[in-house]
Amino acid sequence: MNRKTLLVSLTLVSLVSGIIGTVLYLASYFWGLLLILGGAGIFLFSRFLRDKTEAVELLKKSGKSLLIPVAGIILAVLAGGIIMLLTGYDPVRAYKAFFLGGFVRNWHVSVLNATPLIFTGLSIAFAFKAGLFNIGAEGQYYVGTMAATFLGIRMGLPPLLSIPLIFLISGLISAAYNLFPAFLKVRTGAHEVITTMMFAHIARYLSPIFIRAMGGDPATSPHAYVTYPILEGNKLPIFRSFLPLANYRLHVGIILAILMALFVYYILYYTKYGFEIRAVGQNPNAARAQGISIGRNIFRALLFAGFLAGLSGTNQVLGLTHKMFENLDAGYGWNGISVALLASNNPIGVIFTSLLWGALDAGGQFMSRTTQTPNSIVEIIKGIILFLIVARYMYTYIGNRLKRKRGSGPVGREKV
Amino acid sequence: MSGILSVFNLNLLIATIRLSTPITLAALGATICERAGIVNIAMEGIMIIGSFFAAVTALATGNPWLGLLAGLLAGGIFSLIHAVATISLHLDHVVSGAVLNILAFGITRYLMVLFFGHPGTTDAIPLSLYRFQWAIPGLSKIPVLGPIFFNQTPIVYFSFILVIFFAFIMKKTKFGLHIRAAGEHPLALETIGVSVFKIRYLAVFISGLTSGLAGAYLSIENNVSFTEGMTNGRGFIALAANISGGWTPLGSFLSSLFFGFADALQVRFQIIKLVNVPSEIFIIFPYVATVIVVAGLVRKSRSPKALGNDFMIEKERD
Repeated sequence: MNRKTLLVSLTLVSLVSGIIGTVLYLASYFWGLLLILGGAGIFLFSRFLRDKTEAVELLKKSGKSLLIPVAGIILAVLAGGIIMLLTGYDPVRAYKAFFLGGFVRNWHVSVLNATPLIFTGLSIAFAFKAGLFNIGAEGQYYVGTMAATFLGIRMGLPPLLSIPLIFLISGLISAAYNLFPAFLKVRTGAHEVITTMMFAHIARYLSPIFIRAMGGDPATSPHAYVTYPILEGNKLPIFRSFLPLANYRLHVGIILAILMALFVYYILYYTKYGFEIRAVGQNPNAARAQGISIGRNIFRALLFAGFLAGLSGTNQVLGLTHKMFENLDAGYGWNGISVALLASNNPIGVIFTSLLWGALDAGGQFMSRTTQTPNSIVEIIKGIILFLIVARYMYTYIGNRLKRKRGSGPVGREKV
Repeated sequence: MSGILSVFNLNLLIATIRLSTPITLAALGATICERAGIVNIAMEGIMIIGSFFAAVTALATGNPWLGLLAGLLAGGIFSLIHAVATISLHLDHVVSGAVLNILAFGITRYLMVLFFGHPGTTDAIPLSLYRFQWAIPGLSKIPVLGPIFFNQTPIVYFSFILVIFFAFIMKKTKFGLHIRAAGEHPLALETIGVSVFKIRYLAVFISGLTSGLAGAYLSIENNVSFTEGMTNGRGFIALAANISGGWTPLGSFLSSLFFGFADALQVRFQIIKLVNVPSEIFIIFPYVATVIVVAGLVRKSRSPKALGNDFMIEKERD
């Protein structure tokens, strides 16, 4: 066996092991982690065989990019502990319950929480890459939910045809919901933060009308208004159909979300469209000089962002809720902003930050149930994590200050 | 038809003033802040903080005036985070604002649970500032204008004063000139020996004070308690009011009046129950109005040149 086939087969083995391990792990089969780690190990080994220095470089780079997020999370957890201590709760007991709940006992809840977040996070991250802030992803989420509910109730095609169609159509409708903000942005320069935000409020407030029009039996839900459930054939398959120990609510939407993240990554970094969008986001003037149309890319970015946020709602209806109810507190659009910022708009990073956010919520719930520590401490921890990681410049700033004090840094003109 | 027409009366205009007050106050803050070059989309969060601390203080002390002060200061202090993040830490302004909005939600929810044992709404405050409604002798007797402008509650009067005060500051004083310079050409300002950092910090702090006051208005004057989500996007509407008002205090005030009018109209339409139209249709009035105004007016106004740009005097050193 020559060297090349060995390398290729090693990569394939690591890939397959990684995929199977991920699926198992997501379904709370925790030994899947061994497969993931094994896959990663084999992958590194094959890289090492090919080129030593490159592999070391890769390790160093990924270690460095993990440093700030991990430091931010640890600091935020410490700060949260101090707040608990100051307000009279036992942080050790609370955190024990918190991690047990978020990452072990209720891991399926974390995964369920993360699924819609990945889509909305991708939506916001994608728009950010074009220099646009799709702050109204919440609205597009609602539009996607409504479209999916409507189609899910009305469309009785075979599942293999019907589910992709519902995803596509509701995604497109949500994309169309961003048409007007995109148009205004290009034609008049109206800031998308204001227009998409207003559209988000409009969608939220109009959703009860839709729910009542599709009205179901209020006795079937704790919510005041619910729609009829969608057809049986339009529901997404659940993990339990092939992994018997998985939680019965866990649906395959998380896999769709991860695939979508990979797809968005591919678009952004390996296609002409992605290149143009990133060029416009980084330096519009330079992009224009290169003959890249700014207006066209604004349209593309905002419409695709709307599409992604819409898929989030669709995925939620087809996978988890199977109907729509008035739930103005879910806030997947708002939380999508956090996970996108946290991942510094890297589509692959969004998967992990969404899982983290989902685990924080699930862990918080478990913690408040078992130790009576208020769940809402999680909101503060989230805020602190966000702030510590987003304010990256802070670390450079502190580093420079230290250097200057020690006198080894670059010496410039001092302010008099 | 007469049902619709009955809505348009003096009370509608009085309600317009009341509902536009929080938007006016926050829009004034936005004007100062953005003229100094800092984009502030955190006003929604600052309003939440202001309204929460105003309500809690008014509850604890029984004195709404202390509540007002607490809301004002809480807003100002909270806004300093935005100042540190954007001015000293050179964070993107929009990102920092978004984070602060999320943080404000988290803080108020945690404190809600801590103080009251549940998220949602606080207990009702014993004495609302609404009780201090005061008809200015003489002026309030003017037909139409009298009841609209001169028979109002304290923070409403205060917002009128602030509009005039800020318009004066921006146009006529050296400080106003410095603020405008910080937003148009910060380097020039630094060259004449005025610290851009200081001016910008001050501008963000002022916007925090007014937004905090706007929040206090919502919880202890227009209402008797704090409810999560009671700001309802008003911070963003205020931003729109500031932009469509051409980044001037008077313009912001006039746009805010328009948004207040849309809000007042919405409330009335919901009450009179037009035939077979779901009442939610009307809730969206202010939001639709905002989109239309922003779409129509934004081109005519020019934003400060250095708005949203980072200013780093130490650049060459690092």
